[in-house]
Amino acid sequence: MMKVKMQRTLACILLFILIAVTAGCSSPASSPPEEEINGTGAAGEVDESDKEADTEAEATEATEVSPKAREIEQVLMGQLAPLPEFNNNEKIGVLIITLANPFWVSMKEGYEEAGAELGVDVTVMAAPTEGDTKSQLETLEAMVARDYDAIIASPIEPFNLVPGVVKANKKGIKVINLGPPISTEALEEEGGWLDGRITVNYEDQGAMAAEYIVEKLGPDGGKVAIIQGIPGAGQSEGRTLGAQRVFEEAPNVEIVSIQPGNWDRNTAYNIASNILQAHPDIKGIFCCNDVMALAAADALEAAGKREGVVILGVDFISEAHEAIKEGKLDGSIAYSVKIYTKAALILALKTIQGHDIPEEVFSPLALVSKENVAEFEGWE
Amino acid sequence: MEKSKDKIIKISAKNSLPQLLLIFVLLGMALFLSLASPFFLTWENLRNILDHSSLYIILALGMTFVIASGGIDLSVGAVAALSGVCMAVAMKGGLGVGASILIGLAVGAATGTLNGAVISFLKINPFIVTLGFMSLWRGLSLIITGGIPIYGFPRGFTWWGSGHIGPLNPPILLAALLGLFAAILLNMSRFGYYTLALGGNEEALRRSGVSIHLYKNLVYMLCGVTAALGGLVVTARLNTAEPLAGWMLELDSIAAVVLGGTSMNGGRGSIAGTLIACLLLGTLRNGLVILSIPSYYQQLLIGLIILLAVIFAEVRSRKKISGSKPNSR
Repeated sequence: MMKVKMQRTLACILLFILIAVTAGCSSPASSPPEEEINGTGAAGEVDESDKEADTEAEATEATEVSPKAREIEQVLMGQLAPLPEFNNNEKIGVLIITLANPFWVSMKEGYEEAGAELGVDVTVMAAPTEGDTKSQLETLEAMVARDYDAIIASPIEPFNLVPGVVKANKKGIKVINLGPPISTEALEEEGGWLDGRITVNYEDQGAMAAEYIVEKLGPDGGKVAIIQGIPGAGQSEGRTLGAQRVFEEAPNVEIVSIQPGNWDRNTAYNIASNILQAHPDIKGIFCCNDVMALAAADALEAAGKREGVVILGVDFISEAHEAIKEGKLDGSIAYSVKIYTKAALILALKTIQGHDIPEEVFSPLALVSKENVAEFEGWE
Repeated sequence: MEKSKDKIIKISAKNSLPQLLLIFVLLGMALFLSLASPFFLTWENLRNILDHSSLYIILALGMTFVIASGGIDLSVGAVAALSGVCMAVAMKGGLGVGASILIGLAVGAATGTLNGAVISFLKINPFIVTLGFMSLWRGLSLIITGGIPIYGFPRGFTWWGSGHIGPLNPPILLAALLGLFAAILLNMSRFGYYTLALGGNEEALRRSGVSIHLYKNLVYMLCGVTAALGGLVVTARLNTAEPLAGWMLELDSIAAVVLGGTSMNGGRGSIAGTLIACLLLGTLRNGLVILSIPSYYQQLLIGLIILLAVIFAEVRSRKKISGSKPNSR
């Protein structure tokens, strides 16, 4: 009896230590909760300047900003003039799709760096997985319960964040939609609205990639395939549509397969090998993101059929950058994460400070291929 | 015969200690979060937790019966999606809200009964059967919708997800009422008694002249209906029927049921435990967001807590069995 009791107490203590320790361990990674109770205390500022010092160190390491990046930044900042006041320490919460995808991890880093640069307190949260629409909404709702001045949200699909955005509207928190669209129609119906939207044109991304594939195939054309993301997701549908249009218009080019790869490396790998089985004479594969494009390249390589097939992805993640240099991947569609996230924060600041903003801001795009990959050295 | 029934009762004897411990952990966590963040202990946030937990509760209640009967149902997430899609298609086809909801619930009941029938009549392992149906229903939802969410329903329908009843909302009240109903059903009715007996000693139950097939089917049917109710809540809340709704929801609800003290081997089940476990997981998820802890840690922590709780419960029950009857095993 005594033993059982001892065990019970031990288990209790263990659980508590576990909760306390993990909470304690992980809070330095984000903003420690204690500081928030004391308001924006000295500790918070030290934290900020630390971050700034870090980014400065990184910046000196990679002083060479690619010429392409500079060009694109100027185009985008032109859309955002006049610029808001910086260093006011506004609190901006960011909800991204997932931290289990390298693209969104680089977006998170982009936000944090841009936040340090602009003097904004940025917290980035995410859904546990790319398909978990409900958890993402719950995360947004919990964020609304906090004291952010603005929230920048990228939804998994057009409708899943709608109730959370309405709650933010009611509480007076500005909402900026970045990337995949939140349905404004659905929002209106619930009495909600978006304070701003920044995005890339997904159809253009698909079209640009497809145009490159068509160009490479030459006048003889050939069979092509498209590997989509999650069916119904905005980026996936847009990119597919853009690519599909270009392929259909091109003479002698035939789309033999459009398959959902769910943004997943393994799924895309299997699809690519299946396509190859069914159509050994495949000439081009467009994948709706780089992770899947890399998987498709691997699958073809494993089958010994990589030669003569043009494979393009979208996002230009660093792994894709390396792969294009090595010739493993033929190309990708880039938009600078660094500029994109910075523009989103500036847009949020403008709404907080009461500026008028354009209804929709587009982040400029660039096609990266082995011909021009050298110009993208230092691209972020 | 009487003896075997006695034995069943003994095995299934309620023991509320693990549940008390869960409450203790829940309160401790709430206390910690209240101290750590000024945003935790606000009505807005607490209502969020209840709202978010309600879906888990609705699904986990049906799952409690299935697991207590010694089975498992991996298809609940897919059934939630399928029934939501069916409701949506019915409404878009011009049917009324009430009729559409009934159709959705009927779909849930039918899928549950199908699970039960294959498991009991063909005597196939429930894990495999429900795994198969999980994929089947998910595929069917994707086919019906063509992968594109169906959006925009009448107010009378969305009320089920985002309406207001006083300070609360329909999902919370639905979860509470279902919880009450399930507690009475499991602890006070013949159905509940047989459910536990199915998990405790199926052979003994069969020999005492009870129709195993009937009760197994009923248990899975109940689980199908709660899954459909979950589908109703999630579809109404998002005003969208998604073919991918309820993704991984089966694992969340199984985790909550086991955390609540229901035995994976069957024969022991606790509705109160399931309710508290759902609230505990809901509070944990919410607290981690409130503290701005990255999502990586959320999964890690939830996994750790479930493992610790299950290990604790298992060690305790082994001690008990070997302690009370040294020679019984």
